[in-house]
Amino acid sequence: MADALVEMRGVNKWYGELHALKEINLDIAEREVVVVIGPSGSGKSTLIRTINRLESIQEGEILIDGERLPEEGKGLAKLRADVGMVFQSFNLFAHKTILENVTLGPVKVKKMGKSDAEEKARGLLERVGVAHQADKYPAELSGGQQQRVAIARALAMEPKVMLFDEPTSALDPEMINEVLQVMLDLAEGGTTMVVVTHEMGFARSAADRMVFMDEGEIVEENDPESFYKGAKTERARDFLSKIITH
Amino acid sequence: MRMRRNRRLGIALVAATALILSACGSDDGDDGGEATETEPAAETEESMAPTDESMAPSEGGTSGGGEAVAAIQESGTLRVGIKYDQPLFGVNTPSGVVGFDAEIATAIAESLGVEPEFQEAVSANREPFLQEDQVDLVAATYTINEERDEVVDFAGPYYVAGQDIMVATGNPEGIEGIESLNTADLTTCTVEGSTSLENLNEMAPDADVLTFDTYSKCADAMRQGRAAAVTTDNVILIGLIDEAPDDFELIDNPFTEEPYGIGVQEGSDLRCYVNGVLQTMYDDGSWAEAYEATVGSAGVSTPEPPELNNEGC
Amino acid sequence: MLEFYTEYWPDYWDGTLVTLRLVVISFTLACIIGVIIAGFRVSPVPPLRSFASGYVALFRNMPLLVVFFLAFFGVGDLGFVFGPFPTAAVALGMYTGAYMAEVIRSGINSVSSGQAEAGRAIGLGFIPLLREIVIPQAVRTVIAPIGNLFIANFKNTAVALTISVFELTYISRKLINETARTWLSLLGAAIIYTVILLFAGWVFRTLEDRYAIKR
Repeated sequence: MADALVEMRGVNKWYGELHALKEINLDIAEREVVVVIGPSGSGKSTLIRTINRLESIQEGEILIDGERLPEEGKGLAKLRADVGMVFQSFNLFAHKTILENVTLGPVKVKKMGKSDAEEKARGLLERVGVAHQADKYPAELSGGQQQRVAIARALAMEPKVMLFDEPTSALDPEMINEVLQVMLDLAEGGTTMVVVTHEMGFARSAADRMVFMDEGEIVEENDPESFYKGAKTERARDFLSKIITH
Repeated sequence: MRMRRNRRLGIALVAATALILSACGSDDGDDGGEATETEPAAETEESMAPTDESMAPSEGGTSGGGEAVAAIQESGTLRVGIKYDQPLFGVNTPSGVVGFDAEIATAIAESLGVEPEFQEAVSANREPFLQEDQVDLVAATYTINEERDEVVDFAGPYYVAGQDIMVATGNPEGIEGIESLNTADLTTCTVEGSTSLENLNEMAPDADVLTFDTYSKCADAMRQGRAAAVTTDNVILIGLIDEAPDDFELIDNPFTEEPYGIGVQEGSDLRCYVNGVLQTMYDDGSWAEAYEATVGSAGVSTPEPPELNNEGC
Repeated sequence: MLEFYTEYWPDYWDGTLVTLRLVVISFTLACIIGVIIAGFRVSPVPPLRSFASGYVALFRNMPLLVVFFLAFFGVGDLGFVFGPFPTAAVALGMYTGAYMAEVIRSGINSVSSGQAEAGRAIGLGFIPLLREIVIPQAVRTVIAPIGNLFIANFKNTAVALTISVFELTYISRKLINETARTWLSLLGAAIIYTVILLFAGWVFRTLEDRYAIKR
């Protein structure tokens, strides 16, 4: 895969004694949507967080669009701007309005003019369906609305790839679909995405590829239909049987 | 919110009122304060009267002695506020407090038949020490002046000093007297809360002034070039020069008369008692002995003892 | 009693002005030092972190009086002679700065790590992250402790009298000596301190209320 947007080569990570990521090799192509699943503690969140270096790695290398992730400093900040991240707990900036949350990155990192950034932010908020909340503070919004703002905030940086770390896990059930719908729209629009989620519906309709992790290693990769119908490994079948009956 | 603020304000007001009341008490209420002390003291006097008689030194001319004297004799110690860092007058050494003030205080204690107990007094706390009954008397290069006389009483004077000026060796600024200090270009150091500071402010109002709690810090300030001169009583300056003769010299042009007194509590009978002791020391030569052994050791000739103020005794 | 205060009001006023100047300069300095040292303490650079914890350890564990004497006589003995007021302003600023650094650091720690992660994820570097995300949120939790520090700093200006700064407490002690009216002289200073600090307390409570609303 010469045109891979994200390349992970021989990545290993330890938390003290715990071998959290074992010899990970993963390529993600442009416009590809990859869904990562696995039991809790399997390393899937750690994996996604290494892609923008919110977690450091001890061995191997990670390349974004052919560039190696730097260790620290300005270069790292610049590369991070190319990788959008959506967190399980939204992490909207509590002291800034919705609009300011979305314009902060473009203004401070991309040095965009304030009015341009606001115009763009309003467009993005429109796209995720919370335009009328622009002047409120995060605490005044529902969880689903906050997560859609978080997606808009990440998109405002025009990232090359979007990472979603269990974006619907902290949401009340009735709010899950409004967030998934936004993600589906993104996928259809051709955004490169890496998504940690157990939402089977989303995986089936949007994912190009499923990556199953267990105990820090990638156990199986396949297209969603084949994966859900007939996982090749015992560990994957065991895991699927648990979440489907659940 | 408003409730809380009001309550805090209330507490502050109560505290302030208490302060005002107690301030007035110590200010105009001296008689009242004395009165409360009179009762137990009077009892003591009665019951102790025979003992008093037998203990009183007959040769002293130390006529009488009222409640305060009796109370001291009963307690067995004379509490003395004294300087701990005043060379030649009061210096705290491993073997006790020594100096001219210590000699005088010890003589008074001996006359009373009690032990002296020294406590450090700095210039600014001498009146409070007496007013709050922390000490029975203050022998701490304590200049008699009107303001102080309003709140404490003075026995003596037992010595008359004069304010003089100490400069660096060779007198590089050419300071001749207090007039030379009356310029913002020269910094003069003295001790906070001292008569010397008041005199300096009065006689050289344009002087740039530096003050500390002790004269030794003034000496340090001069060594660091922070001050061109140190001014205070000549005897104190002589003491400083005695310690560092290479660094400092006296210009020897005193411009005040500073009568040193023994401070006692306002209205105390101890005042006349102490005057009696001083008169005895003048007469039998022990005053001159004490002077020569202390102040005189720095090369100052022994003057005539000043006349005591026996008004009301 | 009132005549006493009308007569000596000019002295009190001079002392109050010196105290206020000392407070403004030392506390401004303390804020600057506090922000820098706290920034060092949470920075990713180990030597800066060590420097900052050394600074805090040094100034928090020394009595203020010792700091003043060291700054005045000690530094003077090294050949750097500064006047009483600048020495007092800098010494007090550095002293309060150590406490300020600790207050700000705890404020920074009170901001959830998710906020900082989200900031890093959109590409903010260390300084803009502190400036845009962490400090504005930390400020809310530190207003009350900074108010306490301000009051402590205000009262600590009195120690400057030991190095010949003629501030309010110095003036009241001077009046004790000139008039021998101990309580009255001190009460004047006490009232001035109390009035100013009650006002300062009100200002800080108002700030606290204002910043708390948005949360």
